[in-house]
Amino acid sequence: MDAIFFLFLSSGLFLGWSLGANDAANIFGTAVGSRMIKFRTAAGIASVFVILGAVYAGGGTSQTLVSLGEINALAGAFMVALSAALTVYWLVSSGLLVSTSQAIVGAIIGWNIFAGKDTDWGILSTIVSSWISCPLLSGVIAVMTYFAIKHLLRHCRVHLVSQYSWVRIGLVVIAAFGAYALGANNIANVMGVFVESSPLHDWSFHGFTLSKVQILFLIGGISIASGIVTYSHKTIQTVGNSLMKMTPIIAWIIVFSQSVVLFLFASQGLKNFLESWGMPSLPLVPVSSSQAVLGAFIGIGLAKGGRDVNWLAVLKIIAGWIVTPIVSAIVCFVSLFFLENVFNQVVYH
Amino acid sequence: MFHVKLNLFSKAKALESKIDMFHDKVIDSAMTFKKSVREYLNAGRSDEFKKVNKQLRQIEHDADQLRRDIENRLYSQNLIPDLRANVLEMVENLDRVINRFDEVSYQFYIEQPEIPEIYFSRITDLVEQVTDCAENMSIASRSFFRDLSLVRDYSQKVYFLEHETDLTSGRLKKSIFDSDIPLANKLQLSTIIDEIENIADLAEDSIDRLLIFTIKRDI
Repeated sequence: MDAIFFLFLSSGLFLGWSLGANDAANIFGTAVGSRMIKFRTAAGIASVFVILGAVYAGGGTSQTLVSLGEINALAGAFMVALSAALTVYWLVSSGLLVSTSQAIVGAIIGWNIFAGKDTDWGILSTIVSSWISCPLLSGVIAVMTYFAIKHLLRHCRVHLVSQYSWVRIGLVVIAAFGAYALGANNIANVMGVFVESSPLHDWSFHGFTLSKVQILFLIGGISIASGIVTYSHKTIQTVGNSLMKMTPIIAWIIVFSQSVVLFLFASQGLKNFLESWGMPSLPLVPVSSSQAVLGAFIGIGLAKGGRDVNWLAVLKIIAGWIVTPIVSAIVCFVSLFFLENVFNQVVYH
Repeated sequence: MFHVKLNLFSKAKALESKIDMFHDKVIDSAMTFKKSVREYLNAGRSDEFKKVNKQLRQIEHDADQLRRDIENRLYSQNLIPDLRANVLEMVENLDRVINRFDEVSYQFYIEQPEIPEIYFSRITDLVEQVTDCAENMSIASRSFFRDLSLVRDYSQKVYFLEHETDLTSGRLKKSIFDSDIPLANKLQLSTIIDEIENIADLAEDSIDRLLIFTIKRDI
């Protein structure tokens, strides 16, 4: 049973590995690229915090995905994750700005259609609206932080060399927070579809307890961390991250905005706190870290006068919102058909 | 972590102190140069002039050591990785100005030019403008590290003073070549005036680069 479980889980682990390999560049790409932090330091910190974020704060976003589609067969969960991974791979190579979050939602809808289950349109509309609000919110936070830091630098008159020392510490802290937020928000993309069909049990050791979902997220978190450690340095060096061309302070603002947004869309504690004070809260939904980065990037471009805004990138985001889930749903539907009829696997109950 | 943080800030403070001391050397060299020319005009190659000339040489030597130390710290300690090449270039540009102050003063020492008294006040004016120009360059450069908004103000002063030195040196050379002193003296004086004026040109070139670095540094 365990061997079969891990075989089916492999698609999710692959998705986790690719998430770590690609999205870690958004968190510490600039810091490493500009030689402010060593790769080993950044990767070590990010790996630890991505696992912590996944295990301790990943529940909320996963619950939203489970509500969208309760994938109750392991083979079905395997194909949903694999379809999302294939869609991301295919669309990324065609130049679109693709998000794993959108691909997994599309794949779940594909599974719903194949299994004849109803899709909760209320939850779907919440998820889709979060895709739009994620880059917008990230842009707003980036602009506010940009002006605040500009004001602070003008009045504090910190020497350039000391300023860099502070920025270096800031980049380390934000790499930790960014990794935590990434783990908390995006673990749902990697392991969310396996939650319902997982055969794991709760584990307890000297009063320290991990629920079966947390164990699943721990495995997913380790797969993301393995992507960070084994491949993210290549992504940072070869993909040509546009963040690298910025000053370390701007890069910090962008990573900060992205991390705050990912955290806002992932933290159950924050949601409960806001609701207890009667304040509006954000839904717990997996969002795209790349799109949050781009939102922050565009926000700062506009704050600087709008000359540096890459409007083609904006179009790519919008195209990604529409194309990715549709393609992923189709790929998942067709793949489930083959898995059920050719390989005789039970893909839903 | 706490130790790493303390170590990082102590290294930063040490480098800041060296950079500040280097800027002090620019101002010291300008003031000493002014004093050196004044002594020469008063009493030629006197003992006092020789003493001031030696002081200037010492400032230049100290500035060279500071420059090497800053370069070494910038690259070995990796404190401002993406701007270190810019800072290094700025320090080298400032060092060229200090070197030129020393060279021109030494030129007075070696050549002992005969300067008619009627040109004293205009040479003093020229030296005043050139040293002001260098001092403003130094303040602009220092502002680059602490307050970017001031860089433009002091840069504008450098541009203005450089233009003034062009006018002053032009008028001075015209008046020398219109005079009856021997052609050899005229050419010697003209060369020395060019050398003094050249210091302001160096300051202006340094400011041109500084303004580009400022755009790059601004968030």
